[in-house]
Amino acid sequence: MSIPLDQILIQTVNGLVNGMILALVASGLTLIFGIMDVVNFAHGDLVMLGGFTGAVTIAATGNFWLALLVAVLVIAVFGAALQATTLRPLLGRDPLTTILATFGISLVLQKYALWQWGPSARRIQEPLTGQFQLFYLQYPWYRVLTAVLSAAIIGGFWLFLRHGKYGIWIRATMQDRIMASAMGIPVPWVHTGVFAIGAGMAAASGVLFGPLGGVTQNMGLDFTLRAFIVVVVGGMGNLGGSIFAAILISLLEAYASLVVSPAQAVIVSFVVLILTLLFRPTGLFVPTPK
Amino acid sequence: MSERWMDEPWAKSEEFWYSGKVTRRTLLGLGATAAGALGATMLVPAPWWHAFGQAKPYKIGTLQPLSGAAAAGGKTALVGVEMAVDRANKSGGIGGRPVELIVADYESKPDVGRRKAEKLALEDKIDAHVGGYLSNVCLACMPVWEEHKIVNMITVCLDTTITTTKCSRYTFRPFDYAPAQAVAFAPYLVNKLGKKWHIVYADYAWGQSTRDAFAAEIKKNGGEMVGSTGIPLGTADMTPFLSKISGSFDGLFGIFFGGQGISFLTQTFDLGMSKKYKIAGDGAMTPSVSLPAIGTKGEGFVGLDRYIPVLEGPLNTPSHKKFFDDAVARLKAIDPSGPLPDRFVQSNFEGFNALKLGMQKSGFRGREDTMKLIAALEGLEMKEGDDFPQGDKILRKEDHQAFLREFIYDLKNVKHRLLEIVPKEKTLVPPACKFV
Repeated sequence: MSIPLDQILIQTVNGLVNGMILALVASGLTLIFGIMDVVNFAHGDLVMLGGFTGAVTIAATGNFWLALLVAVLVIAVFGAALQATTLRPLLGRDPLTTILATFGISLVLQKYALWQWGPSARRIQEPLTGQFQLFYLQYPWYRVLTAVLSAAIIGGFWLFLRHGKYGIWIRATMQDRIMASAMGIPVPWVHTGVFAIGAGMAAASGVLFGPLGGVTQNMGLDFTLRAFIVVVVGGMGNLGGSIFAAILISLLEAYASLVVSPAQAVIVSFVVLILTLLFRPTGLFVPTPK
Repeated sequence: MSERWMDEPWAKSEEFWYSGKVTRRTLLGLGATAAGALGATMLVPAPWWHAFGQAKPYKIGTLQPLSGAAAAGGKTALVGVEMAVDRANKSGGIGGRPVELIVADYESKPDVGRRKAEKLALEDKIDAHVGGYLSNVCLACMPVWEEHKIVNMITVCLDTTITTTKCSRYTFRPFDYAPAQAVAFAPYLVNKLGKKWHIVYADYAWGQSTRDAFAAEIKKNGGEMVGSTGIPLGTADMTPFLSKISGSFDGLFGIFFGGQGISFLTQTFDLGMSKKYKIAGDGAMTPSVSLPAIGTKGEGFVGLDRYIPVLEGPLNTPSHKKFFDDAVARLKAIDPSGPLPDRFVQSNFEGFNALKLGMQKSGFRGREDTMKLIAALEGLEMKEGDDFPQGDKILRKEDHQAFLREFIYDLKNVKHRLLEIVPKEKTLVPPACKFV
């Protein structure tokens, strides 16, 4: 069976675009795990809250960029408050405790969204509405823009981690909490800051995805599951690994959909997950300890 | 040094992480206050309750997904049941007895649904049940209603098998189902929109059975289903799967609900498919709560539904206006954007009213009269009016399936616009149920 080249190229574009949005969600998740050892089950709900905050802002101002900025800032502050009040007292305890706590937070946030905004889905108007011809399809420029923006946000954060003073604090805390604390780095505040950054990145993905599928109370569910797969495949806590894994899994799913049904194509990510856990349990991009 | 940093002695110290303390006294104090406030709320009876004196209330259970994946739809559906129950109580109850509605949230999960159904039957001792939303939950709970001999008036679940291969003597569906919708819509699709169709559907029981029903009817009317694409349930971004669809056909027919309905319409627009093909589909894709998110990208979509929120044509009646206004006010209370009523509000409202009518006709006193109630509901004729603002309908005796008129509509200026009415006689399909 031969697959037309145009379909392969279209799916490559789809895989890269979806991979970058997924990478943005997964980056926040892996960062939080890397520094605090907290598996954040409420991460998808932060995506959803970001989407709603963006939708409310855009309804009031009509400005997409302002909506993106407001959503990131509001959810980052909310994330910081959430970490300080709910997760900080639980750090250092059995991992199951934080898993249950974040699962509880997820339920509370879903209920809150339903109470605050009701059952209606919301719309975020994209800032770029044109399309370009991609073989037999009209491909929207906005999808390309989301990939570029996601890459820019992740790139900016990477530069901050490499060269910024607080970025160095974060890296130090990730490498050795005791030594970082001994050197005067306020480790608990670094944790709070990282959670805020992760929440802000989740909010950004919520706003960026809003024009593609609407803002609904459930929009985070699909992201959460896929982001967890990406984080495990890329290596828990490994930022670069998560980005590569997000692109790899999205590309594999897109290519698989050319030869099998969509229901079978999405199984590809689970197959990659199982193989990773079997043969490289620390992740594809982290060396397995001997 | 320990293998895990959390096992280090310094990490065990509470001060390292957190300096505040929640004492037992604070916790007990807060708990007592919350319990007191809740108890006080529960002790205050509804204002209409005094009118019934000592009359024993009918206990009607309603299972709804008020949390989890289907929470948004469940919350809207509950508005319909509450509207109908409030209306019944304000007009003297049923046979002079008030109705007590017992709401159970099944968290959008079949196992929880089954457990809650058991609780409603055994602990709450309900007399009858009205509700359900997700087909898998309706199917999971049907044996429970049968075991406890409780009439089950389902109000949203669309799975075809509920009134065909898995039909139950105790379960009734007072609204339409896919085979009837396909019979009603296929002539319009083939004769007015195009002969060749590609069906894109939510890949699970409801989507598959609806696809089969439409494929058969399109063929029967001289058209052709040239291909079909199943999208896994919950997939928000379906662009990689939609991108693959190409070729020579006239229209794309979508079978989705909730967020996936929004994704299908926005993403087919984004990919330029709505310029190339006619876009049509099941009415579940465009309820009022989804229209703000779909926006102008859904313009031109043609759908079929048992209910659309318009006050024109056969829906321009005083009883529909009354239903519409009450529903709008109640929906505004739960949703600041003020959506218009949809098929879920309508079928929950009319589902309770069908039960009420059956209870009145049979002189139903309690669960001991379930068989009398079933006899009254079988073949029940529901006349258009305040109880049934959608229109006349009949609950067929052979399979407990209702047949009602359908509305073909399109989306214009982000609103439903009525195009055609299909009378209930033109939606009939033969029964395919054998009660055990």
